[in-house]
Amino acid sequence: MAKVLVIADIKQGVLKGSTLELLSKARAMGAETAVVAIGNNISSLAADLAKAGSDTQYIADDAGLDLFSAGPYASCVVDAAKQSNADMIWFGFSEGGKAVAPRVAAQLGAACATEITDVTLTGSGIEIVRPAIANKVMQRVKVNTKQLVAVVRAGAFQAVEGNTGKENVVKLAIPSADLKAVIKEIVSDATGEIDLADADIVVSVGRGAKDQAGVNLVKELANDLKAGFGSSRAMVDGGFMAHNKQVGQTGKIVAPTLYMAMGISGAIQHLAGMNGSKVILAVNKDPEAPIFNVADYGIVGDLFEVVPILREELKKIRK
Amino acid sequence: MKILTTVKKVVDVELNIHVKDGAIVEDGLQYVINAWDENAVEAAVQLKEKNNAETTLVSLGGGDNADIIRKCYAMGIDEGIHVDDPALAKADSSVYANVLKKVVEKGGYDLVITGKQAQDTDSGQTGIMLAEALGYPCVSNVVSIDVLDDTHIKVSRLGDSGTEIIELALPGVITVSDSINEPRLPAMRGIMMAKKKKIDSMDLAGLGISGAEAGCDALKSEVVEFMASKTRKAGRKFEGDAAKITAEVVGLLATEAKVF
Ligand SMILES: Cc1cc2nc3c(=O)[nH]c(=O)nc-3n(C[C@H](O)[C@H](O)[C@H](O)COP(=O)(O)OP(=O)(O)OC[C@H]3O[C@@H](n4cnc5c(N)ncnc54)[C@H](O)[C@@H]3O)c2cc1C
Ligand SMILES: Nc1ncnc2c1ncn2[C@@H]1O[C@H](COP(=O)(O)O)[C@@H](O)[C@H]1O
Repeated sequence: MAKVLVIADIKQGVLKGSTLELLSKARAMGAETAVVAIGNNISSLAADLAKAGSDTQYIADDAGLDLFSAGPYASCVVDAAKQSNADMIWFGFSEGGKAVAPRVAAQLGAACATEITDVTLTGSGIEIVRPAIANKVMQRVKVNTKQLVAVVRAGAFQAVEGNTGKENVVKLAIPSADLKAVIKEIVSDATGEIDLADADIVVSVGRGAKDQAGVNLVKELANDLKAGFGSSRAMVDGGFMAHNKQVGQTGKIVAPTLYMAMGISGAIQHLAGMNGSKVILAVNKDPEAPIFNVADYGIVGDLFEVVPILREELKKIRK
Repeated sequence: MKILTTVKKVVDVELNIHVKDGAIVEDGLQYVINAWDENAVEAAVQLKEKNNAETTLVSLGGGDNADIIRKCYAMGIDEGIHVDDPALAKADSSVYANVLKKVVEKGGYDLVITGKQAQDTDSGQTGIMLAEALGYPCVSNVVSIDVLDDTHIKVSRLGDSGTEIIELALPGVITVSDSINEPRLPAMRGIMMAKKKKIDSMDLAGLGISGAEAGCDALKSEVVEFMASKTRKAGRKFEGDAAKITAEVVGLLATEAKVF
């Protein structure tokens, strides 16, 4: 039986949805499941991790692991991978996962694949599917090593409720800090905002909004809908939106039920971050804008005129 | 300070790419410098200007890379190495990392700057694996660099809960995001001078590593086929009176798309 080790995605002490998605996929494949959780004051998550479908929980809980640091985090994952004898080591899609996975693969001598959208066990080994060239093509990749380390693309696997595994906690040794790459501080993002990765609706703003007043206008729409508020790179570069709001190849990959692109042209690097959304609505004053090639519903118009109407109409139906 | 930047020649992602019989159709493709590597080159040149760094670039594979290497010369890179070999035909990030390790060992660089990912593979692995192979510290997704002294730099990286500030001991490896800078357009004078500069070209044997040592004979993974990606179909586009079409679209979101 295949053995899968899932790296728990924890943010501010809370388990993120991707952990359940990955464990659900592993169970659907009939694999034995283990999970590794790394951080500070996270031991209490063991029960939740069992409930999410893991049968063993490898836990590295220490004040020294409070701030993310790729080196020590990788050591913890390698330790858990060896103890669990996992064939596959899966990270959810995150900056941390992208930084740690290649280290773990190098240390284990395993194959490494990022942004995978599917994985299958063939008679002879593991095969994965992933996009490449800014999502313009897909690749089917054969894994030649016994082990695979993978980062799973956001939205690739569906969460299934009611998995329930069993609680079996294994405490990991705490690795020493990386003295050659010393983490000094994390300047945290504004808290209290809806995480783009978790949002069921994402409203994003582009250069079409011009300035702060335009950004604020679109933000009100996002607030009405309790939606995640994202951005194209143009508005991040312009200083109107924070880096962590950028959607696209360099930013976040999102796959919400509804994505609303307000004044965004639809450059391929932006599309690569949102074209897995279930439904896309675009507002753009240029009828030839490429965003209309992927939008299910396109409103050709000036967002300064359309957004207030949109808010009113949405209030009517959402009452 | 001696800096090495890695530069890959990749297919131009702005053009249409077609797949036939499990392979990418070569016809009509064009090749350019990987966008994130332009950011790496710009970062190196800025360190040269501010901190007197010596700058070298290396490109692996890709056949005739002269145009790309000369573009980097024109941006301000001092020296260029091109390693090409038939054995690299199916190389993946881990093979490239092994070859780059040899380049770094020979050249003795203090800082290696790679792009955060190559636009053809979208892997984001090579720089991190190179650091592992060398036993160097590494920070990925870097958005700013400050030189503290001869053996330390301070970098910031975009992480999951904010901007991480990290002090890196040299020698080390960083991979850069496009948010780090805006690559310069080479000036005419630079372009003219770049034409005359020599490129240090070699094969794997010339570098002092065999295909087997690089891992070419035992690829950890290989692409068995390319497939067209699921393209979204353009939906409906509404033009005309803003109040009318907006109300109509909102109605459809509720009744047809059923998202509310
Ligand atoms: C290596 C690399 C990585 C990148 N990564 C990302 C990434 O992660 N995310 C990302 O977004 N981009 C990324 N980019 C940049 C990308 O190529 C585009 O430059 C960017 O997405 C453009 O942002 P935009 O659509 O807001 O601006 P523009 O392309 O300028 O488009 C603005 C749009 O607004 C419309 N408009 C103008 N006024 C109005 C109005 N009043 N009402 C309605 N519409 C209006 C215009 O018709 C236009 O279509 C990357 C680029 C590179 C090279
Ligand atoms: N063939 C190559 N030649 C030079 N640099 C490379 C090569 N392949 C990868 N790199 C570097 O490694 C980065 C990440 O590549 P990848 O792991 O393929 O996403 C790129 O941005 C380059 O800087």
